[in-house]
Amino acid sequence: MIKRSVSLADDVAKAVEAAALEDGVSFSSWLSAAAERQLRVRQGLRGVAAWETEAGTLTAEEIAAGEALLARLLSGVSGMASRVRRR
Amino acid sequence: MPGTRDGIVYGPAALRSAARGDRIVWAMHRAALANGIIPVVPAVAVADAYRTEARVDRLEELLAGSEVEDLRDPSARRAGELAARADTSDLVAVAVAEAASRHNAAVVASRQNALRGAAGLLGHELVLYAV
Repeated sequence: MIKRSVSLADDVAKAVEAAALEDGVSFSSWLSAAAERQLRVRQGLRGVAAWETEAGTLTAEEIAAGEALLARLLSGVSGMASRVRRR
Repeated sequence: MPGTRDGIVYGPAALRSAARGDRIVWAMHRAALANGIIPVVPAVAVADAYRTEARVDRLEELLAGSEVEDLRDPSARRAGELAARADTSDLVAVAVAEAASRHNAAVVASRQNALRGAAGLLGHELVLYAV
C-alpha cells in the first residue's frame, strides 16, 4: 500500500466523505475504488480502440446505435439482435 | 415492464459475438464505458467463451473493460442451489442470472430458458438483449 498526499476541492472532499460513510468504507478505500473504476474504463476504451484498429473504426451511426441500445436496456426494455454486422 | 437497470452483465454469447466482430455489441460496450458503466462477466462465462472461441485477442480486448467476477462462496453455493431449483445443469446461465439480479443489471446473452428460469426464481425480471 502506497501513501500519497492528494488535494481535493472542498466540495469534492465533502461529497467523498458522505459517499464513503454511506458505503461503509474509509475515505481512502472509496477514493481507491473510484480510481480503480476510472482506470478500468480507460483500459476498456483502449480495448475498443485496439479492436477498431483491426475491424475498422465504429461509425457515428454505429456509436449512436450502441448508445441507443444501452439506453433501452438500462430503461428496462429487452431486445434482440436483428442483423449482425461483423468485421 | 421491468424497472430501470444499473448495469450490464455479459453471458458467453455476448463474448462470442464480440469475438466474431458483432459491431453493435462493440458499440454498446463502448457506450457503457463512456457512461462509466463497467460490464460484469461471471468467470464461468469467460471460461465458456474461451472454450469455444479462437479469437482470444478479441475476448481480451472486450474483457479489458469488464469486471470478471470470481465464483466463490457464498455465490457458488447460491448458484448450485439455484440450478437445482431451476432444474438445470447450465451453471453458466444460472451464474449470469444471479449476477444480473445482484447488480440489478440488464443481460446480453443468448435466449435461454435456463437464464429466464433462474432469473424468475430470483424474482428478477430479466432485461435481455439476445444475441
